[in-house]
Amino acid sequence: MIVNQRVRKYFMAVLAAGMLAAAAIAVAHHSFAMFDTTASVTLTGTVTEFQWTNPHAYIELDVPNSGGGGKQHWSIELGSPSILQQSGWKYKDLKFGDKVTATINPLRTHEPGGLLVQVTLPDGRVLGNGPGRGPAAPAPTPAK
Amino acid sequence: MKRLSIPLPQAVLVLALVLFYSLGVSAVAQTPSVKPPDLSGAWGPYGGGRGADPKLAAVPASPIVVKPEYVKAYDAIRAADAEANRRGEPLASASSACIPSGMPSMMAVAIYPIEVIQTPNQVTIVAEAFMQVRRIFLDRPQLPIDEVPPGYFGRSVGHWEGDTLVVDTIGIKTSVQYQRVPHSDQMRITERFRLAAPDVLHDQITIQDPVTLEKPITYTLSYRRLPKYEMVEFVCDNNREFANDKGAVQLKLGGR
Repeated sequence: MIVNQRVRKYFMAVLAAGMLAAAAIAVAHHSFAMFDTTASVTLTGTVTEFQWTNPHAYIELDVPNSGGGGKQHWSIELGSPSILQQSGWKYKDLKFGDKVTATINPLRTHEPGGLLVQVTLPDGRVLGNGPGRGPAAPAPTPAK
Repeated sequence: MKRLSIPLPQAVLVLALVLFYSLGVSAVAQTPSVKPPDLSGAWGPYGGGRGADPKLAAVPASPIVVKPEYVKAYDAIRAADAEANRRGEPLASASSACIPSGMPSMMAVAIYPIEVIQTPNQVTIVAEAFMQVRRIFLDRPQLPIDEVPPGYFGRSVGHWEGDTLVVDTIGIKTSVQYQRVPHSDQMRITERFRLAAPDVLHDQITIQDPVTLEKPITYTLSYRRLPKYEMVEFVCDNNREFANDKGAVQLKLGGR
């Protein structure tokens, strides 16, 4: 299932200002301009691969077409393992076959890919895309 | 053979004097007047936010003023960057190709930590992003600038001035740029590392270039100590960003 929505403008203005301030001194792996950070898409599907790699981690996701029949494959870019670890991720948090719901900033090219905002794991935890991206703090681990 | 005999009190005095001078001289030679602080360990960017002390924060770069003959090209590449980003087609760069950022950019890559390994004769700095390593020699002089083959991290020598580690770096490839600022093979980077607080490290960076810069660029990076942090590896074996035929970064989709 895919849901499109516009992200509230003032939130993006604040985020953009923060990123600009950080960019004044620091450098990053690449510009995020290829993603439309003013738009978000919510995808619910099945993980086909979770790549815990540099310079970025990726979630490969099969998303069933709404209205039944067929599916579309999406590639979702995350931060690097270092960045993700700093916001509570572990490399086995996702695996083949997991059902997840992910919110992404889509590619401006309209190809089926995007930048992760947050993902809800099968155990209910919600993880973001590194400090300052997605949920502010990792959700508490559910009681065993 | 007749043995030379020295009265005991005089022998003790001579021995004491010899010991005093040898110890005293070597102590002066080997021990700086102030014991250098220990900068060893992992450090992350000291950011803003709750609990942050603005007095310890990073200081942004002074205005970048390039020599007149470099203004046109510098303005053009920045305009091209901005326009490409507006279009959503960011220009490919060394960084998007996973080429190390080099000096001085490597000292602040996004929120990646650095690690300082301090010994009496060498300070080694490892940047987690792209696993960049620089070695700062404390026991030898700098070479003439034309004898250092240009690279990404250059040749660094340093010395302690009280509580401050002063580092001189030369020999950076002209393609290794800070914020697109043009530089020549005469660029020189001076750094002053000091603890601004027990767990806050400042690196004041000054970039000088008599060929391309009208005046030096100075900024200060601020790091907080990460006592329990374990540095992670960073091997770019899954770089999906590639430069398309327009020179823009594009993302390879659908897995490796």
